[in-house]
Amino acid sequence: MLKYSLRRLASAVPTLFLLITFAFFMIRVAPGGPFDSERALPPEIEANLAAKYHLDEPLVFQYARYLWQIVQGDLGPSFHYRDWTVNDLIIQGAPVSFALGAAALLLALLVGVVVGAWAALRQNRPTDYTVMSLAMLGISIPNFVLAPLLILVFAIVLGWVPAGGWAFSFDRMVLPVITLALPMIAYIARITRGSMIEVLHSSFIRTVRAKGMPEKEVILRHALKPALLPVISYLGPAAAAIVTGSVVVERIFTIPGIGSYFVQGALNRDYTLVMGVVILYGVLIILFNFMVDLIYAWLDPRIRYDDGETA
Amino acid sequence: MKESKQHLQDLWLLGALRTRTGSRFAPGFPASVASVLSVVPVFFAALLTAATVHAATLHRGVGPEPDSLDIHTAQSLSALNVLRDLHEGLLTFDAGAELVPGVAASWSVSEDGRVWTFELHEAARWSDGRPIVAGDFVAGWRRALDPATASPTAALLDPVENAHAVRTGEAAVDTLGIDAPAPDRLEIRLERPLPWFGELLTHPVTYPWPGDSEGRYSGAFVLVEQLPGARLELKPNPHYREADTVALDGVTWHVIEQPDVELSRYRAGQLHITETIPPGRVDWLREQFGDELRIAPYLGSFFLAFNLRREPFADAPELRRALSLAIDRDILVERVLGSGEIPAWGLIPPGMPGWPEGREPPLPPGERLAEARRLYREAGYDEARPLRVELRFNTSLTHRRMAVAIAAMWKLHLGVQTGLVNEEWKVFIANRRQGRITEVFRGGWIADWRDAGNFLQLFESDGPGNYTFFDDPEFDRLMRRAARERGDERLSTLREAESLLLDEQVIVPLYYYVSRHLVDPAVRGFEDNPMDIHLSRWMALP
Repeated sequence: MLKYSLRRLASAVPTLFLLITFAFFMIRVAPGGPFDSERALPPEIEANLAAKYHLDEPLVFQYARYLWQIVQGDLGPSFHYRDWTVNDLIIQGAPVSFALGAAALLLALLVGVVVGAWAALRQNRPTDYTVMSLAMLGISIPNFVLAPLLILVFAIVLGWVPAGGWAFSFDRMVLPVITLALPMIAYIARITRGSMIEVLHSSFIRTVRAKGMPEKEVILRHALKPALLPVISYLGPAAAAIVTGSVVVERIFTIPGIGSYFVQGALNRDYTLVMGVVILYGVLIILFNFMVDLIYAWLDPRIRYDDGETA
Repeated sequence: MKESKQHLQDLWLLGALRTRTGSRFAPGFPASVASVLSVVPVFFAALLTAATVHAATLHRGVGPEPDSLDIHTAQSLSALNVLRDLHEGLLTFDAGAELVPGVAASWSVSEDGRVWTFELHEAARWSDGRPIVAGDFVAGWRRALDPATASPTAALLDPVENAHAVRTGEAAVDTLGIDAPAPDRLEIRLERPLPWFGELLTHPVTYPWPGDSEGRYSGAFVLVEQLPGARLELKPNPHYREADTVALDGVTWHVIEQPDVELSRYRAGQLHITETIPPGRVDWLREQFGDELRIAPYLGSFFLAFNLRREPFADAPELRRALSLAIDRDILVERVLGSGEIPAWGLIPPGMPGWPEGREPPLPPGERLAEARRLYREAGYDEARPLRVELRFNTSLTHRRMAVAIAAMWKLHLGVQTGLVNEEWKVFIANRRQGRITEVFRGGWIADWRDAGNFLQLFESDGPGNYTFFDDPEFDRLMRRAARERGDERLSTLREAESLLLDEQVIVPLYYYVSRHLVDPAVRGFEDNPMDIHLSRWMALP
């Protein structure tokens, strides 16, 4: 397992390198630059700015300089938020996005699995149909519709929670977390239901039932664990989707996470900020997928990654 | 992103143009749904709970995250608004945006208008208690002009003696026309007399330099916390020279990019003052908020500009004029924008010194269309050979609606085939500047200071912002002459320059801007003003 982990992590390096290279040149292809604005600048001032941020050097030099910086852990100064470095912005924004994403993921997992399993146990009965219709609805409502609706009802009409803004507190987090979690709850419920039904019909469940094990034990000890495998494999992309999906949610709830920098950075041609966020997301996605594979191996004894350890 | 050409048939606006009655909902909305929905906000408003924001801390929307709080680096409107709370220049604004003494207690101007001498206020203090001295200004201006600082606003200091030469490295910094003969006396020498120099002295680039140490402020407030993307928290500066007049316990500027989101926060009682309002909902907002909705004239001007270097508008003043006359500004302003904007036939907004009123329309309404058609035919176009043109604008709901309406008017009245080209902001800016593919496009200007020259310099042949590529020796000559003149003489030269610009129809003026805010009734001291500058130090909460 250790050997496998090291191999996986080593293979992440070329992936990241390609990602950085591609993103670096792609953002430079976009028309317009970080210092273009409604008020055109005199040429000497543009030259000063270009010199300060090394934009006057050939692109290949800039690329080499950037790679050297990254190796040292420096993502450079933000071109638009000029009082901050990209490291500053990410260090301040990432915990917020992560807290939000983790809370949403946890909520989705908890509710989704319970609801999905419950529906599976009542397959083709009214409960099942109701739950699955609701899940369909949850998947279909985009978060840019759901979020303003939640704000209208719970912040403006009922006045229970603030309409936006950020603090690590329940009342500020509850609406954005629900918005992020709801479509995932629906997905997870559907996946859990499907795989649960399949497991419940498999021969080993018939065997444990035949041995007279109480139904509760059958479900919790034997059926649930294998039924969760597809859910786990969904979690990797879901975790990635939640960080990217939070772009919209962060903007609507005015949450100072990194999601909004993704959009704002690109619109402002804030080259370094875009690169910083791309690298962060790249690392996260690689990490999530890796963790999912590890959890997979733990849940399913048939999966072994190292040749030496195969039974 | 380029869109397919749109033609009249699918222009929803045509309906609005003809009927003048319409729902406030998006076009294509079934009337029954719209009427049901229109009840919803009224119902919710009845349930609306009272505002519950902390007593004496003022919560204000700032718009997007300020680009910088360095006085020499800041450029964005949001940054300037925060900086005016944190720092103070020689002069400052009162609640009505009139000039009042700031760090300078008094000043005098030499006979020729070139030398300004300021006596600094004896009580002027930095937030650490040290006195603000004339040397702090000298240090600041030198830093602003240092190429290594790369200040985007440094060129604002160009009227100062030798500033341009210092900025471009052609002269030593000590030749700059700013001196501190005594700690409390500052002398500034200008290249030429400058009627609006006082206004310039309210711009952050002219403020005293607080030094590299963090957290030193010359204004009424100090920054306590900044959470990027969220908020800036300010507390009163105990050493401010008029600290006893500051009524607030604090100011929190909230970073909120989207007007819809800002509106929800206001409705939820989390904001006292919004930076703006969502477009196209003014009727509903007025119904909901009554006097809390503050719409006031703003020194800004919105227009369409022509690329005079390319077909079809190069050397075609008749055509440009025909397109201008075919646009009904009243319909645009009332039906498409509907936020109290003022229909425009000139560049310089009313309220500008020397411009008590906007320009009169060139013809009475009944004669405009006939004249437009005549000019259009004279330019060599007719139904068989219609003008095909691309109208370019940057992505925004308002711009889009307006472009659709204008295209419809041109089609309806002249038969012009207009393609709408919608571009992301930076792409739009780059294209407009290069001028290789632009034809007619969105333009606009908001006053940096109250002076007509600030608008007209946009069209000087060598100006960096001249995206029309207007190149007229007579216009340039008038602008140079205005630079030498003073008082009424100068104003009349500037008026002449504006007339020339309009006669040549370099632009199609559409409307003058308005400022738009929602202001909680509890807030005292918020005054509508044409600069839309509202220093927190003049405000109070009960």
